[in-house]
Amino acid sequence: MTTGLDVANLSLVDAADAVRNGEVSAVALLEACLANLDAHEDAVNATIWVDRESAFAAANAADAKRAAGGPLGPLHGLPLAHKDMYYQAGRLSSCGSAIRKDFVPDYSATVIDRLSAAGAYAFAGLNMAEFAQNGTGHNHHYGDCRNPWNLPYITGGSSSGSGAAVASRFTFAALGSDTGGSIRLPAAANGVTGIKPTQTRVSRYGVMPLSFSADNVGPLARTAGDCARIMSVIAGHDPRDPTSADMPVPDYEAELNGDLRGVRIGVPTTYFFDDVDAPVRDAVEAAASVLAGRGATVVRLPLPLMDAVAAYVAVVSRAEAATIHSQWMRQHPQDFATHISGRMFPGYAIPATYYVEALSRRGPILKAFATEVFTQVDLLVTPTIRICLPTLAATDIDNGPPGTEHLALGISTNTRPFNYLGLPTASVPCGFDPNGLPIGLQISGRPFAEAAVLHAADAYQRDTDWHTRRPSIMTA
Amino acid sequence: MTDTTKFVDDMTASIATWHGVTPPNAVALRMLGDFEKIIHDFEALRGTLRFEDEPSSFEAALTEAASIGVRS
Repeated sequence: MTTGLDVANLSLVDAADAVRNGEVSAVALLEACLANLDAHEDAVNATIWVDRESAFAAANAADAKRAAGGPLGPLHGLPLAHKDMYYQAGRLSSCGSAIRKDFVPDYSATVIDRLSAAGAYAFAGLNMAEFAQNGTGHNHHYGDCRNPWNLPYITGGSSSGSGAAVASRFTFAALGSDTGGSIRLPAAANGVTGIKPTQTRVSRYGVMPLSFSADNVGPLARTAGDCARIMSVIAGHDPRDPTSADMPVPDYEAELNGDLRGVRIGVPTTYFFDDVDAPVRDAVEAAASVLAGRGATVVRLPLPLMDAVAAYVAVVSRAEAATIHSQWMRQHPQDFATHISGRMFPGYAIPATYYVEALSRRGPILKAFATEVFTQVDLLVTPTIRICLPTLAATDIDNGPPGTEHLALGISTNTRPFNYLGLPTASVPCGFDPNGLPIGLQISGRPFAEAAVLHAADAYQRDTDWHTRRPSIMTA
Repeated sequence: MTDTTKFVDDMTASIATWHGVTPPNAVALRMLGDFEKIIHDFEALRGTLRFEDEPSSFEAALTEAASIGVRS
């Protein structure tokens, strides 16, 4: 058995294959992840809890199963850690909050069950924005998650720990959730790959709700291939989540071949590049050229209906989040961080007529958008975040001057429209800004075209090495 | 009293009446004030969309849009 591999630096796919082939043990994978955790967690603050005892029991069981010649799943022996809002029977699920600091569900999320059936196990609950309600990674109760590329800067949120833990090689992949960008923002900010699937593509049973209309479950991992493998495991209809789509699930990994000939890639001339910072614009333009080098045709086009999308997306999740949290907001609002209750409060002012208008037009707007856009192009590429990442201090609503909230909320300007439209959208690393912080490229496709999105992301990663780089805390 | 102050006061009273929720902090009041922009954005859309009153299903639209523009 090989011991010379830097096993925690392997991609999830390579790590799984190494376990399957007997090149490395499941225990060695776990030890490597925990070594990184022990070395860097004090700086990054990516976890809320770690269960080492059960982790070693799971790793030893995985090695024993392989030695016995049993059938092995596609994630056999992989230690994973997830945003601390995925229910696991008998384990803490704090949701990043004080209100649920002792919440231990007695059932598990479908996605947790599916990952387990594929051979993976979870060993940690990851830091996150309180109740998944900010895009920066601030957390008043468990401490802010810090960016491993440059510690004073934001990790993005709300799946802050998921992005930072994958980047810091604490885990090979992590589940995040995405209601307004909460997978893609930390993927971009931490230099990892993440995908928000099509609305309804992945079961939400056993996952803390924030917005019934816009919540999505998806992975953050090192590569597009890693995300493809996880998506093949977690996607598909779940009888326990009647809102999940009953659509066939392709083998996403099998469709990754690097060939983009015949693929039309759109670069919007409206909305997504408004007031974009130059390093971000340049990185995304360079990425479009890389995709063209793989055979894609790049098309510049205006996007329709963006005023309506921007207006409507602003009310749906806020009204739903306010509704879900209304009892706590009545009885003990002081238990929320200032910026969480402050953000939730205006949700009660949204008239039902606005909410209904926004939801009732969602389908027609999607069809009109798709008819105009996807007859011209197959995919859209945009900046995940328009600006170079700000610091935690500059976006600290609780302690900053009035107006701080505008910078903090603006982080998700480019991600939220795809939640309203329900489109599958990935973020892949495509460069670095002058502060040494990662820049994200957003790739969006037709509904249920996760395969096409991941195909383009994988093709891009065949010609670039941004996704292989390690954060400065690990190389210093 | 500025227009924004009146707007916030009116909305705060409405929220208390309808939901029994009171402003938890000054940030909440500032963010409530920002909702004037949402009203403006909604008003700006009036009459601009051609599908004002169609019955619709977002889930059905996802399925339908999945094949739009797909080339064999």
